[in-house]
Amino acid sequence: MSKAFISAVCMTKIGRHFKLGIKNLIHEVTACMEEKIGSRPDYLIVASTFSALQTHQLDVASIATQYLGWSNIPSIRVETGETSGIAALELAQYIVRSGAASKVLVIGVEKMTEYPSNKVNADYAKILDYDTEYVRNITPPSYAALVMKEYMRKYGATRDDIAEWPVKMHANAVNNPYAQLRFPVSKEAVSNAMVISEPITLLDAFPIGDGAAAVLVTNESARSKDALEIVATAAATAPPLYLREDITELPATKAAWASLKRKLDACKLSEVALQVHDSYSIYGILALEAVGISEKGKACQVIPNLEYLNVGGGLKARGHPVGATGLYQVAETYELMLEGFAGKQYGGEYALIHSMSGSDYNARLALLRRW
Amino acid sequence: MKHSISIFWRNRESHYRIKITKCNVCGKLAYFGRDRCPHCGSRDVTVIESEGKGTLVNFTVSYYRREGDEEHLPRIIGLVKLDEGITVPGEIVDIDPSEVKEGIRVEAVLRRYSSDDPYGLIYYGLKFIPILKK
Repeated sequence: MSKAFISAVCMTKIGRHFKLGIKNLIHEVTACMEEKIGSRPDYLIVASTFSALQTHQLDVASIATQYLGWSNIPSIRVETGETSGIAALELAQYIVRSGAASKVLVIGVEKMTEYPSNKVNADYAKILDYDTEYVRNITPPSYAALVMKEYMRKYGATRDDIAEWPVKMHANAVNNPYAQLRFPVSKEAVSNAMVISEPITLLDAFPIGDGAAAVLVTNESARSKDALEIVATAAATAPPLYLREDITELPATKAAWASLKRKLDACKLSEVALQVHDSYSIYGILALEAVGISEKGKACQVIPNLEYLNVGGGLKARGHPVGATGLYQVAETYELMLEGFAGKQYGGEYALIHSMSGSDYNARLALLRRW
Repeated sequence: MKHSISIFWRNRESHYRIKITKCNVCGKLAYFGRDRCPHCGSRDVTVIESEGKGTLVNFTVSYYRREGDEEHLPRIIGLVKLDEGITVPGEIVDIDPSEVKEGIRVEAVLRRYSSDDPYGLIYYGLKFIPILKK
């Protein structure tokens, strides 16, 4: 099977961009990409979770292609809830490996500030089952709160133990020029912040922000000098939270990881550059346990020692423009391994990226390698 | 918040009664009436009805603001282990958030989910209330 590479990346700063619409954000990362690669891609994939609900735009990929003035280029929108960005990467590498295209531009874009937060929150809750969860007033942070309580009870973790996560994420984001929340926080501030769904506070949760990130996926002949190989991707789905025996497990993440880990040679997982999904602090912790970085119930203790964990600040502090998030994870990793990012340079061989939707309703992983 | 009338009407049985899908192949139970077993994918299933009583095993007091939802905050969202043995998610009402605790006995009752105020429809469905000791 032919190889697929990440040959270039671009990001916009995440924030409340009231002067920029979805097309402007797409233009910004595309213009950046044109400066880097000097030619058009031959396929465009747009990952956007909320484009239909927040910006009233169906088929955003065609509208983007029209706006960019790229006639005749095939385009497609990808939406798989919060994992849309990595799902788009997954599709791009299959297109490249199949030989159907040699340069696939993957753009993740989200406008999250066109309406007040209560409308965004209502739309975000639709990543759950509309008929059985949404209409009963169940929301993603409520589920995350139930998971966090169960984890604290089962493993004796304290509120301060969980706060290791946002403290590290905010410390990392200070050095990320694209991050939405570039300020440090203390454990005390996390505990005392406004309650979202107890025990989860505002500082355990991702902020609402707009953003766009772009990744160019190429075959070998179109590969740039500085490139990362996409070794493999893996994805899985899981039953709803209430059907699980143990809600402190991430079944989809574990299933995806089971199919991917044999490709990671013999290198130590704790030395791999890691990007994990942390819409809420507890999920970042569970993700570390699901891929075997730590034993069950002990991940809080290893957080401070993981130098290359969510170097941009994770969803928590970099931000989570939902459909774009997976591509921010990839773009940060590319810069970290090839150019230096957020004051760090990673000299190792592998990077693992984890993305999931809701309480792990689907999970997607990407394994990248220095070429 | 607005819901589709036809979606709500179609699902009325599962809003007004707790249905359980029993798989005739793997033997497992699952919340709400379904065409297939969510555990094994079998189409050989029987839908039964729960007595609607159970034990609260986990809960959170939520202040998360959803459009049209603000006046009902905070909400207590919990997981209830039904006497039939399966766990279902739901809202707990008729109890002060400071008094709710895991282990209390609860039962399902018909309450308002939401309404399209001021002139729209009112959507009813099941929530849980504490079972009062006699």
